[in-house]
Amino acid sequence: MTLLELADVRAFYGRVQVLEGVSLTVPDGGAVGILGANGAGKTTTLRAISGTVRSTGTIRFDGKDLRGLRPDQVAALGIAHVPEGRGTLGDLTVRENLRVGAYKRKDRKGIASDMDYCLDLFPQLQDRIRSNGSALSGGEQQMLAIARAIMSKPRLLLLDEASLGLAPGTAKSVYQAIGRLRSESGIAMVVVEQNANLAFTLVDSATVLETGRNALTGSSAELKGMDEIRRAYLGG
Amino acid sequence: MGTFIQLVIDGLSTGSIYAALALAIVLVNQATGLINFAQGGMAVLSAYIAWALNGLGIPLLLAIVAAVVISFFLGAVIERYLIRRFERGDPDTAVVVTIGLLTLITGFCAWIWTYNNRLFPSLFPLETIQIAGAVVSVRSLGTFIVIVACMLLLQALFLGTKLGLALRAVAINPASAAFSGVNVGRNLMIGWGLAAVLGAVAGVLVAPQLTLTPGMMDSALVYALAACILGGLSSPIGVVVAAWLIGVLENLAAVYVPFIGHDLKIAVPFILIFVVLIVRPQGLFGRKAVVRV
Amino acid sequence: MAANTDLSHRSPLLERPWVRWAVIGLVIVLMIVLPLMLPEFANQTIARIGVFAVAVLGLNVVMGYTGQVSLGQIFFVGVGAYVTAFGVNADWNILLVFVLACIVPAVIGLVIALAAARLGGLAIAMVTIALPIIGVPLAKRLSDFTGGSQGTSARFSSAPEWTGLYDDQWQLYIVFLIGGITFMLTRNLVRGKYGRAFAIVKGTEAVAGSLGVSPYRFKVLAFTIASLIGGVSGFLYMVVIQYTSPETLHFGHSIELLASMVIGGAGSILGSLLGGIWYVLLPQVTNLIDPNITAMLQGAILLVVLFILPGGLVSLPSLWRRRGRDGGSGRPGGPVGGAMQADAAASVVGTSTVGDALGAPSTQPPPPTTQSPPPPTTQS
Repeated sequence: MTLLELADVRAFYGRVQVLEGVSLTVPDGGAVGILGANGAGKTTTLRAISGTVRSTGTIRFDGKDLRGLRPDQVAALGIAHVPEGRGTLGDLTVRENLRVGAYKRKDRKGIASDMDYCLDLFPQLQDRIRSNGSALSGGEQQMLAIARAIMSKPRLLLLDEASLGLAPGTAKSVYQAIGRLRSESGIAMVVVEQNANLAFTLVDSATVLETGRNALTGSSAELKGMDEIRRAYLGG
Repeated sequence: MGTFIQLVIDGLSTGSIYAALALAIVLVNQATGLINFAQGGMAVLSAYIAWALNGLGIPLLLAIVAAVVISFFLGAVIERYLIRRFERGDPDTAVVVTIGLLTLITGFCAWIWTYNNRLFPSLFPLETIQIAGAVVSVRSLGTFIVIVACMLLLQALFLGTKLGLALRAVAINPASAAFSGVNVGRNLMIGWGLAAVLGAVAGVLVAPQLTLTPGMMDSALVYALAACILGGLSSPIGVVVAAWLIGVLENLAAVYVPFIGHDLKIAVPFILIFVVLIVRPQGLFGRKAVVRV
Repeated sequence: MAANTDLSHRSPLLERPWVRWAVIGLVIVLMIVLPLMLPEFANQTIARIGVFAVAVLGLNVVMGYTGQVSLGQIFFVGVGAYVTAFGVNADWNILLVFVLACIVPAVIGLVIALAAARLGGLAIAMVTIALPIIGVPLAKRLSDFTGGSQGTSARFSSAPEWTGLYDDQWQLYIVFLIGGITFMLTRNLVRGKYGRAFAIVKGTEAVAGSLGVSPYRFKVLAFTIASLIGGVSGFLYMVVIQYTSPETLHFGHSIELLASMVIGGAGSILGSLLGGIWYVLLPQVTNLIDPNITAMLQGAILLVVLFILPGGLVSLPSLWRRRGRDGGSGRPGGPVGGAMQADAAASVVGTSTVGDALGAPSTQPPPPTTQSPPPPTTQS
């Protein structure tokens, strides 16, 4: 059951073309990684999905064509984008950040229980529940961003560089939490990561992008075994 | 002592007018990142609309309420069709656009209603009451109370409702808000609409005193901008306090400092600004803007 | 880039040196001959155009070239006029009066800029708006210097006997001479290294420091020069109109100057001239129809220009040429402010812009202030 399908996606910033035909499939409940060097187009791919960037080609979510939709409309369909840089709502408290995440929902009980779940998943947020978002550390802000995304009860999570700027230990625990989330909720994921080692702890398959195109695609097992991948991304 | 209290209360009243306009400017600035130089002009248009409706026979209070509601939609429409295009670009260009808007609105009022001063009926009776030995006009008191009530309502909206949360989220980080399903465009329109409402309230409250004319709020705009500089564009409480301070100080200066007198009291806020900003460039309450390159 | 709009307007024809000299020669000949041939009213109108073209030029220095919105230009014109009136009526040497008319506004501008430029952002706009608004009651109050609400007149520009000219011709020659020199000096300024520094401050203030350009210093410089030029305009104002009053400083005129600058062409020498023409001729035309519509028309046209022709009237020829080249999607730079695209800025600093949240523009061309696309290397 394919949840998300990208075929020959080209994306533009103004008149500059950044993606030159990217393809991707995510099965229901699956986790797919997008790897590659800086400038390869990983973030742009996510932005094409969530509608923040102009694109051509096919982007289908649960059979529905996503192109032309505004980002909030894409979110309403069940896709939660955790952006690069985390997008923390600095002047709002942690609790308010989470409430914003649940903006589209109307089920009070569900929202409350999801908030409890998030705070259980990320205990550090519980301690800081009344602090302003801007007062949180980098790792806490990343957890907050993921929690905010979870609050919208998405079917697909777009994670952009979740480990960026985090100490290795913190990054690892963030990924562990995401892994727990995945196994407990069955949310599908697209994970953009420069740290391929971390990505492979989470995803079933991945595609490697180079200058806006798919260079290699395969299951995690296959890719981990390839020499090029090992040398370029796994440190030998 | 009686004069002093009178001046203070009158100062708080005119200061509230500046505060309402300043709050509108802050609201628009936080939501869309630009300074709306036409905020006063829009307020004047609202006052004219109320005046025109009243002239058609509609009772004053109803005319005012109708004008306020119309102003909301006017503000929303202006954001969507005039300003939206310039929100993505440079704020200085956006300012020039708002100046064009100001000219257009003022010109429109002049075209329809001419430059002659019009008498605007007062919501409040032209009586005075005694407070602590001072003779205070009901109008001053009423203006102050109404505007404070509006501010409290706005505060309740922002802090207590889902809409308010969405508006704040959009102001802080529109992309994040969108990713959480908030319709950013619609909230920007609402933000501008609320700002227009604030301006409309200020306009109809001050019109009886100043008499209605297309350039009626030009000075108030200057005071409001001064309050924004003093209070810091990132602090709604700061600009309100600054506006009250300006209102009270200019009244006191007009009477107690003969050189300034009534005609030069508009210089008072700027003297204040020069003094304060040499010490604290970010204003009395604002935060230092950190520009990460 | 925006500051070089003049260059982009020059068709290949004008690049040839002999054509340029011929045009300059023609202009000089016209400037000498026309006043002798035209009727008094025409000369007076052209003279007034010259006065306000200089005022718009000054505004352009600080706003069009350096990107700082100033709403106080008319204040400096007024100061120049009042200084001139005072000096003439006190029988001072006319050369001294001229120098003072330049220096006094410049000093005032310097002081204001030193304080306001520190604030950054739109503070200069917010502070300069106070200048005409405080200026009017101040002019009324300081009646010993200014003649109060009545204003002062100063007749010093009657044609001397030995020239055999009429007054209006003499005045027009003075405007041509002084205005022409001012234009030339300013043109050289903005084409030289100062002009480049201004453009850097306008376009990329955040990185100006790393390019060795201190935004603060150049903002102050630009504002001071603008005030000085405003003073020159004020002197010429007295030459032509021979009377000044608090009404000269009125806030509405500042806005009209700004609108004229944008409509004529921001960041352009020729555009300043067009702006002067607009400033003088628009009211004359609309007054024939209905004086009450002047402001509305001014505002409407300003908005129209900002929407479809942000470079002003002076950019029409280049827009025409560009339309041929890439199907009309090209757009000249905005009237004020940077060429840095909002989205590029967003991806560089990791903040989000309204642009992101509103979704990608599909067929909409980029907004008028942007010119260059972002470098692709900022994406990962």
